Amino acid sequence: MLALRAVLAVLIILCGIFILAEMLRSRGAGFAILPGVVLAGAMIALGAHRISLILRVRRGNR
Amino acid sequence: MAAHAKSAKPELRRSVTPWGSFSWGYSDVGADIFVGLGLVLAWAAGASNVAFLFAGVVYVCIGLAYTELAATYPVAGGGQYFVMRGLGDFFGFIAGWAVLLDFTIDVTLFAWSSVDYMSQLIPALVNSVHPWLHFSVVLGLVLGLCLLNVIGVRESTAFNGVVSALDVISETLILCFGFLFAFRPHLLIHAMQFNWPTPYALMLGTSLAIVSFVGLESISQAAQETQRPASVIPRTSIALILTILIFALAYSNLALGLQPWHPITDAAGHTMQFWQIFPNNADNQGKAVALLAEQVPFWGAIAALYVPVLGAVLLLISSNSGVFGSSRIAYAMSTSNLLPSIFQRVHPKFRTPVISIVFFSTVAVIELLFAAGPGLYRALAGPYAHFFRGENGLEFLADLYAFGAATSYSFVFLGLIGLRLTDPLSPRKFKIPLNIPMHFRGERVDFPVIAIIGFIGIFSILIFTLFTHPLGRVFGPTWLLLGLIIYLVYRRHRRLPILGSQRRDWRTVQIDILRRSGELELMDEYLANLKASEQRQAARA
Repeated sequence: MLALRAVLAVLIILCGIFILAEMLRSRGAGFAILPGVVLAGAMIALGAHRISLILRVRRGNR
Repeated sequence: MAAHAKSAKPELRRSVTPWGSFSWGYSDVGADIFVGLGLVLAWAAGASNVAFLFAGVVYVCIGLAYTELAATYPVAGGGQYFVMRGLGDFFGFIAGWAVLLDFTIDVTLFAWSSVDYMSQLIPALVNSVHPWLHFSVVLGLVLGLCLLNVIGVRESTAFNGVVSALDVISETLILCFGFLFAFRPHLLIHAMQFNWPTPYALMLGTSLAIVSFVGLESISQAAQETQRPASVIPRTSIALILTILIFALAYSNLALGLQPWHPITDAAGHTMQFWQIFPNNADNQGKAVALLAEQVPFWGAIAALYVPVLGAVLLLISSNSGVFGSSRIAYAMSTSNLLPSIFQRVHPKFRTPVISIVFFSTVAVIELLFAAGPGLYRALAGPYAHFFRGENGLEFLADLYAFGAATSYSFVFLGLIGLRLTDPLSPRKFKIPLNIPMHFRGERVDFPVIAIIGFIGIFSILIFTLFTHPLGRVFGPTWLLLGLIIYLVYRRHRRLPILGSQRRDWRTVQIDILRRSGELELMDEYLANLKASEQRQAARA
């Protein structure tokens, strides 16, 4: 179960990185990319938060 | 609530797990996007994602504030309790009374929207087609929930968990399919560049966007029933805050940049963008997520069938949390002598706070009558159009919802600052980042910069609400005034200070809170802090 959660967390981070890259590619649109950048940042943060929780649980199990 | 009634010293059973705590919050806040998306798209148009972004940033600040407060003071009173401890009884009452407005609106707004989602599968329930049937079903739901709460039936944490899990999976699938197969960045950029709203519409849209983030009271309500709240609440709250923020931003971006699976045309046969179906169409505004889901390629064929049902169920759970929450907050306020003791009265057979439930359900029904009035009686449409800029029922409810939330959250930020200054000794296992260390009354305190940023943000949303919502401008302050009259009469009757606070020994209270929550290490830390503080004071003397 922990492995599945870790995979999902990594997927969320990858999605966030993908969206961030897409947004930065179209940075000619200026201000319009800001909500997308924040969305990507939130996804990366959520993924990182979940991974930190998983690591904490693993440390607790040892 | 039954537990409250059974003993003089009521105590809720701590049986909520981390997932239970997450799903409790999610079933409350997660439903908001089902209501907020259509309303924001209708007003903020090409800037809807920016409106969600602004409200989302404010929401993150609010979420962090609630997380810190709920983890430090794990009691069910919520915002009013934090404000009462930080700023005193009078402001605690105002915050609590504003939250009560939100809970009563929650009942009506979410029952209304639940029926709107049902109307996607049952066209007879469309409000503009059969307003009396729509009204009757919403009224039936409100009265039904009232009755269920009187006899003490409440959805279980397990049921919340299942619905929340289904919704998270469903929304993720919709967004994945939407972004993979139907999202066109040029449509998003075109909408933002050529359909940017007027400043007035943007303010209105932003104030409505906060509707998508209301319900953080559930974090503190869950705190009292969560095992080891100081450890669990921060973990689940941060996941909840980020999940809700991601969904809101993703939906708004997708809606603006969506290439509809089935072409959408107006009456003249011109092709429309997806978001253009919302302005001036209250029926569509009430079921935006279902409409978006069916326009997502491939998955939309399945989503069109189940999303209306899932949305309706999630909204109904949220509506029920309004009935339950209002009675619980009123009970907590009453035990703190902020409201008359009649709100503590329990039914002799069902052991539920029947007076509170019936009182606030009646308020919800009155709000429903105001919201449905122009649709039911065409004669009322004229005065509404004249005095209230022709707002529809859903907008009226959202106005008041935004007003209540902005008012109570503003005070919660001030309460957080107050508690950081007046109660620096309570151990804070989670502390909002960005603090300025300083000394206050001989103690080292951390002044929270985020609380100032959040306060400015939510206060500006309150100003937007008052400026752009004619109905909210009238009914919101009227609600507060009514509450203040009740408070004044009650406090005078009990010979309690009106602007001041009743004497309470918060240190003893805090020790008791930590002991009951099972946070014994924190209790020891608190006792050590108290001892060290006394020694410092003695040394100074």
